[in-house]
Amino acid sequence: MMARRNWLTFVLLGGVIVLVAVAAELVGDRLLLRITTNLCISMVLVIGLQIFMGNSGILSFAHVGFMGVGAYTSAVLTIPVQMKGMALPNLYPFLADVQMLPVVGMALGGLTAALVAALAVYPLMRLSDAAAVITSFALFVVLHTIMYHWSDVTNGPRTLFGIPGGTTLPLAAGVAIAAVLAALLFKESRVGRLLRASRDDEIAAASLGAHIPRLRWQAFIVSALLAGIGGALWGHFITSFSPKQLWLKETFVILAMLVIGGPRTVTGAVVGVLIVTASFESLRSLEGAINRADILSEPLVGMTELTLAVAMIAVLALRPGGICPSREVGYYLFRRRARGP
Amino acid sequence: MAPLEAASVTVEFAGLRALDDVSLTLGPGEILGLIGPNGSGKTTLVNAMTGQVPVAGGTISLGDAVLTGRTPREIAHAGVSRTFQIGRHFDNLTILENVATAALGKGAPVRVALERATALIEEFGLGRRLDDLAEVLSYGEKRRVEIARALAGEPHYLLLDEPAAGMNEEETESLIEILAMLPKDRGLGLLIIDHDMGLIMRLCERLHVLASGRTIAEGDRRTVRDDPAVIEAYLGSGSGDA
Repeated sequence: MMARRNWLTFVLLGGVIVLVAVAAELVGDRLLLRITTNLCISMVLVIGLQIFMGNSGILSFAHVGFMGVGAYTSAVLTIPVQMKGMALPNLYPFLADVQMLPVVGMALGGLTAALVAALAVYPLMRLSDAAAVITSFALFVVLHTIMYHWSDVTNGPRTLFGIPGGTTLPLAAGVAIAAVLAALLFKESRVGRLLRASRDDEIAAASLGAHIPRLRWQAFIVSALLAGIGGALWGHFITSFSPKQLWLKETFVILAMLVIGGPRTVTGAVVGVLIVTASFESLRSLEGAINRADILSEPLVGMTELTLAVAMIAVLALRPGGICPSREVGYYLFRRRARGP
Repeated sequence: MAPLEAASVTVEFAGLRALDDVSLTLGPGEILGLIGPNGSGKTTLVNAMTGQVPVAGGTISLGDAVLTGRTPREIAHAGVSRTFQIGRHFDNLTILENVATAALGKGAPVRVALERATALIEEFGLGRRLDDLAEVLSYGEKRRVEIARALAGEPHYLLLDEPAAGMNEEETESLIEILAMLPKDRGLGLLIIDHDMGLIMRLCERLHVLASGRTIAEGDRRTVRDDPAVIEAYLGSGSGDA
């Protein structure tokens, strides 16, 4: 159940995603389509992180680990049988004959990530503050190490190839819109409301009867579900990847998007993805143009990462709650309308 | 409803006795004042009764249910609620969300929690601020929100740690009116810690006085007020050492 203004928020945020996707389809430029599809995938991942981090107030580094669980699960389930002999020669026999549709793989990738989260993270949910952040990083290292060394299933540190494409822009945009809805519904649910209270004051929330570890655990499972689906979407988009692409750089980008936009609101997650993607892509093309023009004696590298890092520091220093710190976009419009004649 | 009882409760911090063999009973529909000089152990007693600090000895019980050693969450579910001296609000939530939290914590569905919270906020005179974030409220308003929030969990007993601290006279007056009605309206047992003796004397029939972690007097408010030990604890000893 959501209040009217939350539906307004959903319509607005969903509308922005539809608008961006339709515009990209109409222009039809291949690069633009790729960038926009990537944007929608980032949206799923960042909104997934928002569900845990925004509501619980605990920074989680493990998110990209669960993205990897989803990506590898879906890859293993969907790589065509005749390709598997080459791509994953030592794959367990019961998986070697499996070949599912990418969308089915994506759903199962999300569910597997959620299941792993459900089984693994409960003890960590009792921790708060720095201890919680550090253990989430340790969990990320564990997941990464497994992906890096479980060669029979992941092809180890080498690139896993042969993953069928299947992530189209309409699909990615549709999943992103569903993620927005899921995050808004979660935020307004009983679990989400209690979790947000515990974020602002853990002692007060516990003394009002909130079972904080269980609330965090529930949020983490939903968050991992979206991370897994997002990871699978990504895998079927780039069609070959290695564990190196599911490591700190990816983590930093996702985190920066959420922190810049504002982790406490779904609006913030969406705004963060849009702003960071737009500036990232324009900087990248600027960098390319400068390098092609041979203005500098040596090629310019790392401008995008540096800019992102500085932007993150600036936001944390000047506006710690992000661009949209505490209210969803629907609130402002609804209020204006309610005050009107 | 059975009484809330603390029997011979002792609390130690690093070997220091913060509470020494304190016994107190709070009945349903009763308002009990817990008073004493600064550092006498009033807040520690409330913390012990709501599971925030461990007890080194003694028992806390609600009828047949033993509350000693239980977590704050379990004690909340048993029907004992509290407010905090330093004021603990959910700053990024609206007033409505703040108050609804207690109902949700006790298991109410969202719709019921919001309805109950709305009614309470109106009762506390904050109906027009329902949708404001808690962080923008004045000190006195925050205190009222915190009491409303505790009530939304429909507790049997409510322990208020300095509810009037930082309030102006007008705010204190309206707080007294609200608090005075609670036991009658809801059958609620109320324990109030406060330094405002005017408020204590108007609300509480019975008083319990602590000094240096021990009970120095308890009983009817007039008897307690005139008790030499209480006068000495409050005014300091001018007449020899105890």
